[in-house]
Amino acid sequence: MGRVSRRQFLKASGFAGAATALVTGTAAAQTVSPNLEGTSENGQNPATNRMAMLMDNSLCVNCHSCRLACQNENKLPVTEKYIRFDYIETGRFPNVKRLLNRHSCMHCEEAPCIGVCPVNALEKGAEGFTHTDFETCIGCGVCLHVCPFEVPVISEEAGTGKPKMYKCNGCRHLIAAGIAPACATNCITGAVQYGTWDEMRAKAEERVAKLRATSPGANVYGIDEQGGLGLLLVLRTPPADYPHLV
Amino acid sequence: MAMDRRTFFRSTAGAAVAVAAMTTIDMRAWAQVVEEAPVELKGSLCNVCSSHCGMYIHVKNGRPWKVTGHPDHSRSRGKLCPRAHGGLYWIYDPARAKTPLKRVGEQEFEQISWEQATDEIAERLKRVLDQHGPQAVFYGHNPRRSGVVYGNRFMHALGVNTIQTHNAACNTARVLGLAHTFGSSYNADWANSDYLLFIGRNMGEGIRTSTALAFGEAIARGATVVCVDPRLNESAAIAEWVPIRPGTDMALLLAIANVLVTEDLYDKEFINTHTIGFHRFERVLPQYTPEWAEELTTIPADRIRSIARGLAAAAPAAAVDTGWKGAFGAAYANSTDTARAVAYVNALLGNLNKRGGIRISRGASLASLPFQAPETPTGPRGDGVGTDYPLATGHGLPHLSMEKAQKGLVKAGIIRHHNPLRTIPDYDHMLAGYRSLDLLVVIETHMTETALEADYILPEPSFAEREEVIEATGPSICMRTKAIEKVHPETKSFDEIITLLANKMGVGRYFDFTLDELNEALLSGQPFSLADLREAGSIEVSVDQPEGVPELNTPSGKFEFYSQRFADEGFNGVAEWYPPETGLQLRENEFRVVHGKQAYHSHCATANIPMLAQVTKDYDTNRVWLNAERAANLGISDGDYVRFTAPDGRSGEARVKVTERIHPDMAFAPGAYGNRTPYFELSEKLGGFNPHDITAYRSEPIVGHTMMSELIVEVKRV
Ligand code: SF4
Ligand code: SF4
Ligand code: SF4
Repeated sequence: MGRVSRRQFLKASGFAGAATALVTGTAAAQTVSPNLEGTSENGQNPATNRMAMLMDNSLCVNCHSCRLACQNENKLPVTEKYIRFDYIETGRFPNVKRLLNRHSCMHCEEAPCIGVCPVNALEKGAEGFTHTDFETCIGCGVCLHVCPFEVPVISEEAGTGKPKMYKCNGCRHLIAAGIAPACATNCITGAVQYGTWDEMRAKAEERVAKLRATSPGANVYGIDEQGGLGLLLVLRTPPADYPHLV
Repeated sequence: MAMDRRTFFRSTAGAAVAVAAMTTIDMRAWAQVVEEAPVELKGSLCNVCSSHCGMYIHVKNGRPWKVTGHPDHSRSRGKLCPRAHGGLYWIYDPARAKTPLKRVGEQEFEQISWEQATDEIAERLKRVLDQHGPQAVFYGHNPRRSGVVYGNRFMHALGVNTIQTHNAACNTARVLGLAHTFGSSYNADWANSDYLLFIGRNMGEGIRTSTALAFGEAIARGATVVCVDPRLNESAAIAEWVPIRPGTDMALLLAIANVLVTEDLYDKEFINTHTIGFHRFERVLPQYTPEWAEELTTIPADRIRSIARGLAAAAPAAAVDTGWKGAFGAAYANSTDTARAVAYVNALLGNLNKRGGIRISRGASLASLPFQAPETPTGPRGDGVGTDYPLATGHGLPHLSMEKAQKGLVKAGIIRHHNPLRTIPDYDHMLAGYRSLDLLVVIETHMTETALEADYILPEPSFAEREEVIEATGPSICMRTKAIEKVHPETKSFDEIITLLANKMGVGRYFDFTLDELNEALLSGQPFSLADLREAGSIEVSVDQPEGVPELNTPSGKFEFYSQRFADEGFNGVAEWYPPETGLQLRENEFRVVHGKQAYHSHCATANIPMLAQVTKDYDTNRVWLNAERAANLGISDGDYVRFTAPDGRSGEARVKVTERIHPDMAFAPGAYGNRTPYFELSEKLGGFNPHDITAYRSEPIVGHTMMSELIVEVKRV
């Protein structure tokens, strides 16, 4: 028992006799990603696969729980956030729609930000996400100028006053431990998911096929853009509607 | 070092995360020794709203740094709503109540000892009881287990039965309407329904984490989800939105019932076998055509027909969600009968205890307490429940109490973890009431508006620093555990405070047990111990769910279209249409003010939390919404300041969001803002309009709720 999850621990530690009365391994619990430090429920190291996050904007209730969980997970200052939203309100009362899109690092397969960084602070992880070495970053903002999605934010770091670049780091530390990114684990409607790139693409396509019955413009964004994105999007309307998509 | 399984677990988990974290930005500033400190996961319960979702508090070096959802808790299902993440701030919040405080002037306090505080409170409380009797005393709280077990027991020991909750400003109309039809409040089976009709309920913003998940899953799975709301709220935004004129939900429901009956789409077997009074309902129904309802609701008659037919086609896997606060919890004069109409439609769908319909779900049960209990007092209550309002629920009428306080009939109160001065309509009325009391004791973690009116503030540790009475929540048995040591050593948890006070009041014999002994007693018969539960935080047990239609908890044992109780008290035996008390006619510059929730705030308790306030600030969301066309007619542009003036002349100022997303009749005020305690400095800076400042005190005739949306204002640009 080198690593043990809390659930496994509980199962093993004295409830065995009472197993009939206890439902410690519910179906619902198994559908959520484990969020336990240093444990991996499936035992595989996902970092060897190309991974993706899927943001299904058609299921997002704009609650900002992902943003807040991310801020705590990554100990961001209150004013910095890796997840932002773009909103679009179309039509006139009573025929109105509110659309939104998550605006955060898209984890481009071909990421122009990496090549231009003068201090090599950006690099690709084995899972395909674009990671920042915050120590090395000098906050020069060159990445911002080449990012097709206007993601990087340059801010002064509290305490040191040094400029630094802030953007989603793909929860590198969690992924390394076999745990889903905080935003995916925490999303309260299931709009954010995490898995292999192929799985996420298949899920997105399946969802879009369903959505087309009511939203004919529904589409998956990120299959080909920038060589494929580590953050795939389900959109209810064409990408051109959203300010940060190209 | 001795190593039991628990420490083994902690150190294993901690080591792994420390290695992983070395490479990340966030731990960078931490000293090496800090890096290597183990992370402990403390299973506990959230306290930022009253859902008490199961959570793990992640503690490192004695400080909590994040929370994650508990997978074995029925309300969190491994996830947590936005507020939970922000709630960590409360632990170290400078606005905490830190020591016992005694009032020495307006909003001025001096620190005193527990000994002095409890001596003085006991003496003053005894005096009130001697001179005015138990009716002159009330206890108000947000009703969760510790508050019920300790608070109610203490009150009963003193002969006091005026126990109040927040319900009169939340869901009491809904509760009563369902109680007098179905016999109890049931939930829709969101997980299995093919057609869900939500009226005013907004599961993406009025969140209980697991219900937001169920909502998302229903949509992802392809169920038809229709959200009726004057506002394109964030749930409606991902479902089908049906805008409605505020206050007319009952008309929509009656018209749906009309279509189901006239088109012969209802479940006759259920109606014949399990209901009474259907024929009386049938007699009033013909007038409620979709065309009639279109006039009132502004929903096209054909849309009403399509909803009725859609529900019928999916029945019994179809439901009208039974709501919470939303449109008919405590909003209008017609809210109680609106809740009955919700029940009528479900009865016609024959969906009771059917997969995808309305489910009676049983939860886990805990053992009863073996300790000597005081008699439950049987005398009249001090807040009009059972007398002025014969049908009112046991949750009480705190606003009516404050009228009685002003008349000298109510003299003392104890309030715990509850801020009625800010969260119940008519601030001036509530304030005048509290100021008329001889004694107000507030047991709180924070220096809230209500606390600042107290004669004594008794400080509690925050949710992360105290243990509480075990709860049974659905199939989960769970408890708040102590994740960290007390931040303020002079704080005491509720059980300790009540036990102290009880001893001083001479009723200590009813508290002759420790919290541990009480919790052990509650777990008797369970296959796990208190230590196991404390370690786990939440354990799910299997519970048999009833199938079929049971005998209902109504006088007839059946579903009641006709209520003899209602008729006997002079109300409609069968729910029939009537408009809100303030009517439906608006002049050119008039709007009905309705308030509601945002996902990232809890009532008026969280606008002071920096992370959550930042969301408000980033997206400029503490504005009042006005319909674009009507705003244009009044020369009001997005971002303008306007003045809202109530009929009694009271007024307030707010910035507006001009939007197509709202019915022309309604001004929507997000309900989280407008704190008036100077201790919430950030909230004060953030600003915002709180409609309770200008909503007049009144009580709905049936259950006596606060009629929070019976407010029509004149709007003028400033
Ligand atoms: S979205 Fe921008 S910051 Fe992120 S990987 Fe692509 S180029 Fe780099
Ligand atoms: S992957 Fe991690 S860092 Fe990126 S947005 Fe999600 S929670 Fe934040
Ligand atoms: S947690 Fe999920 S539903 Fe909430 S804002 Fe983030 S993506 Fe949307």
